[in-house]
Amino acid sequence: MELRINQKTYEVDADADTPLLWVIRDDLGLTGTKFGCGLAQCGACSVLVDGHVVRSCVTPVAGVIGREVTTIEAIEGDAVGKRVVAAWVERQVAQCGYCQSGQVMAATALLKHTPAPTDAQIEAAMINLCRCGTYNAIRTAVHDLAKQEGV
Amino acid sequence: MNNRRFARTAGWLALPCLVAAGLLAWYVTREPATPFAQEPAAATFEPALLSRGEYVARLSDCVACHSLPGKAPFAGGLEMATPLGAIHATNITPDKTTGIGAYSLADFDRAVRQGVAPGGRRLYPAMPYPSYVKLSDDDVRALYAFFMQGVQPANQPNIPSDIPWPLNMRWPIALWNGLFAPTATYAAKAEQDALWNRGAYIVQGPGHCGSCHTPRGLAFNEKALDESGAPYLAGALLDGWYAPSLRQDPNTGLGRWSEAQIVQFLKTGRNAHAVVYGSMTEAFNNSTQFMRDDDLAAIARYLKALPGDPQRDGTPWQYQAVTARQDVPGAHTYATRCASCHGLDGKGQPEWMPPLAGATSALAKESASAINITLNGSQRVVTAGVPDAYRMPAFREQLSDQQIAEVLSYVRGTWGNHGGAVDAKAVGKLRGQTDPASSSPIILQMR
Repeated sequence: MELRINQKTYEVDADADTPLLWVIRDDLGLTGTKFGCGLAQCGACSVLVDGHVVRSCVTPVAGVIGREVTTIEAIEGDAVGKRVVAAWVERQVAQCGYCQSGQVMAATALLKHTPAPTDAQIEAAMINLCRCGTYNAIRTAVHDLAKQEGV
Repeated sequence: MNNRRFARTAGWLALPCLVAAGLLAWYVTREPATPFAQEPAAATFEPALLSRGEYVARLSDCVACHSLPGKAPFAGGLEMATPLGAIHATNITPDKTTGIGAYSLADFDRAVRQGVAPGGRRLYPAMPYPSYVKLSDDDVRALYAFFMQGVQPANQPNIPSDIPWPLNMRWPIALWNGLFAPTATYAAKAEQDALWNRGAYIVQGPGHCGSCHTPRGLAFNEKALDESGAPYLAGALLDGWYAPSLRQDPNTGLGRWSEAQIVQFLKTGRNAHAVVYGSMTEAFNNSTQFMRDDDLAAIARYLKALPGDPQRDGTPWQYQAVTARQDVPGAHTYATRCASCHGLDGKGQPEWMPPLAGATSALAKESASAINITLNGSQRVVTAGVPDAYRMPAFREQLSDQQIAEVLSYVRGTWGNHGGAVDAKAVGKLRGQTDPASSSPIILQMR
């Protein structure tokens, strides 16, 4: 099957129900996207599909044929994604970093659709888990980004 | 004089009592007739007969109760809790001492189709002989051959039941049988075609679908055993799950499923409407996926011919798009815990992750299945030896009774679903009953 990932076309040989995450990491070697729980609970595997955040561990690869997948490797190619990464660096969000590619994806998807989100919208969208507890830093960075847009 | 009259009266009274007692004793311990009574014992069986028998064992899902995971196949041991105490499935391997190796074909037939063990001892109707009685003579013969020669003998003694005396006496079951267990094998209906008849045979007989899907009466009898009764396969609450209607009810049954979708569901465990879960996972893992395509087509034909009941089923479901409902209780839990798989629009990722919009568990007024799957998750669906990639996680340790009640009330009241709200007390009750750490979790698996 043919997949569009980070604006490149890949020919992939996989069963229709293979999780997208396995294809991304194991077949294509794009290991920036992480495996966390495998049950759509933590968000470490978040990627963008047509600009919406999805959890790739529970996304059958057949479901993304003909759609545009974006992973953390290409997020700085996106104007919003580039700003998110800059804010993450500015606020020194990451500790161990394992969940952060997913967090960046979630923030990018939020800001793409809602450039100046309210606190409630940020609360509702930023639901990925972080075992280091970087939630406060994440919230600060996202608030920075929301304000930038508002100015 | 008075004494003599008393003695005579007593004698006249005692005599019919004795006769009645004698008749009762005969009735409750007799070995019923079997067409195989005169059949000589066979030394070996033809391979074709063995493989037919193996297939009948698959259709009948014997392994579901008579095996434990990781133990010798058919060696028994599964504990089934009943209101009177636990009973255990027996060893049906051909071991001579602990299994059924000493059974003649006639003995085997009486046990499978009449629920009577050698010596006249009655089996508990946890063994679905009221359904297996429909099995044809040829299928019983093949099944016997398979169990005698196709199964490895395993020396594993049966576990006695926990039911205390006098409730553990078996003879009253004979009276239950007289009231509720039919005695005739399946007779083809001339006005129906061969496919329908084959489907009826599998569904009513070996498949014993009604054991879970037909509601039971006060005496735990299935309220109907074939399509002549309206309650047949009309959905039933059992063991903490709601086994949905298999009739043409658009909400709680198969009204929106095509024949091809029924076949797909039984063969692959999933279709655009649903994925197997609860007790059906085992029925799929052990039985339905092994059925031949023509048999699955027959089942689908038969089930599509069972009319629904609009009074019982309610207004047919129609999808209603919902945009912003972040304000209601449960919506946030849904967005964070459920939506990645089932979608914010409730439509799931058809065939892989089931939709909750229009799901039986969100439309049936019984909320047991919705609560149970949320608390305990789903078991592995194993197709052709390969476990599925996607599974419902258990939220027992992550969500409170109140949170589960709220998120399920949201699911059951959104996208056109009208199953109704879920009460936190109901969640708490099922949480206790299905607690893996409890000494008596629900394990009755009356299939």
